[in-house]
Amino acid sequence: MLEINDLYSGYGELKVLKGVNISVGKNEIVALIGPNGAGKSTVIKSIFNISDVSAGEVLFRGKDITGLRTHEIIKLGISYLNQGKINFSNLTVRENLMIGADQIFAPDVAEEGLGKVYAKFPDLHAKEKELAYTLSGGQQQMLALGRSLMQRPALLLMDEPSLGLSPKLQKELFETISSLRSEGISMLIVEQNAKKAIELADRTYLLEDGKVVLEGGKEILENEAIKNVYLGGRY
Amino acid sequence: MSLLAQSIINGLITGSIYALVAAGYSLIYSTNNFMHFAHGISVVAAGYMVYWLFTLAGTPFYATCLITILLSALFGLAMYRLIYLPLQRRGSSNVILLIASIGILIFFQNIIQIAFGSGVKLIGYIEVSRGIAFPGGITMTVLQIVILLISGIIFIMLYQFMQKTKLGRNMRAVSNNKELASIVGIDHIRISDFSFLIGSALAGVAGILVALEQNLSPLMGTNLMIKGFTGAVIGGINYVPGSIIGSFVLGMAENLGILVLPSGYKDAIAFSLLFLFLLFKPNGILGKKEGRFDK
Repeated sequence: MLEINDLYSGYGELKVLKGVNISVGKNEIVALIGPNGAGKSTVIKSIFNISDVSAGEVLFRGKDITGLRTHEIIKLGISYLNQGKINFSNLTVRENLMIGADQIFAPDVAEEGLGKVYAKFPDLHAKEKELAYTLSGGQQQMLALGRSLMQRPALLLMDEPSLGLSPKLQKELFETISSLRSEGISMLIVEQNAKKAIELADRTYLLEDGKVVLEGGKEILENEAIKNVYLGGRY
Repeated sequence: MSLLAQSIINGLITGSIYALVAAGYSLIYSTNNFMHFAHGISVVAAGYMVYWLFTLAGTPFYATCLITILLSALFGLAMYRLIYLPLQRRGSSNVILLIASIGILIFFQNIIQIAFGSGVKLIGYIEVSRGIAFPGGITMTVLQIVILLISGIIFIMLYQFMQKTKLGRNMRAVSNNKELASIVGIDHIRISDFSFLIGSALAGVAGILVALEQNLSPLMGTNLMIKGFTGAVIGGINYVPGSIIGSFVLGMAENLGILVLPSGYKDAIAFSLLFLFLLFKPNGILGKKEGRFDK
């Protein structure tokens, strides 16, 4: 589904990724873990052409999408759930949901998705007409995820979706993410919580200083380096 | 009492011209994030377009207005596409764009001066007439009533456009969070195109009204731009309704201020307000720092 080959990327003079190879298969959940500054978010930004790719290629369904403009990439079926300011705080909940979909689909098709997202997240339906800044942290995250789903992606890129959520909400979020797989969505997830990420994902890549240093399935939870550095509480 | 009422009406009339300038300016600023000071020249160019088409060439007045608004919109788009966008693509900072905008302003001021001379020009569409007397000792000319009505209608239309249309909503989204707007698939160049088209069309309307009410001179754009900018700063430069309200506040302050100060102090009142707001409330009355709506 997604294939990243020997990717070099960064921001202007700042080189972050130094030859990264990553793939995501159909219906697969893949996690990216690693210390701060390793380049996890930059991988996602490179796919979406928000960082400066200097070499390498990104293939989606076999097609080279490197250098395509962001709004063109979305139309191919890739959606991105960013971190930081994840919603348009001055737009209503409904506007926040529709804004992703109606860039791609005709208005009536976009509206159909609204019902599905409201069924999944009833809280959002109840607050449909309210401005996004009035929502709680958990609802903000639902809204952002809902907006990504409105775009009906084949591949969903998520940058630290659990950031700032309480343990209970994190658990709910990871359950939701698992359920998305059954809807045929492949996912690439950047996650700070290494243990949670490895448990959730089919495969995990460990990134350090712009390079993939380890790759594997759930068995890497037993890997000594991972245990010592990432599960020992330092990260 | 009647002097006070008259000053308030005068403040509204002045304010509505400032607000037309400020609304376009702030629409462009909020979606593009740089200071388009050349917006002032769009107003003046529209004024001279009216002078050229109507007074010199004898084009019917309403056709003149339509052509002027259309050309103003295209003039704004051309500034974006031919000057700002190529600079942005070379990685120019917003300061460079600001300098470029001042360059454009000075360049076209001089072009107008070469083409039409530096003397003041009169449109002469509406005869200078005695105002109509209203109860409360207020007098207004027909033109002044027209200015109030037209600007009011335009502000309502602009508000409806921003709130009810997909393009308006996308513009609000871009002004709220540019990175996210790009992530959800909004083409920011298209949004910039439309912000320059619409913002400069508003400048065109302001230019027509200014041309009818005042004498035209090539250098008047700087003053209008500064007043529009001041209005936008007072109300909140990032928020179009804020900049409209701020412009009315400025118009009122100027006209009420000269009840107690000599009338030569009008500009001083505006600049004092600008300084006070920049110092103590740089985000304006309704404006926002990062996001007015963010916690």
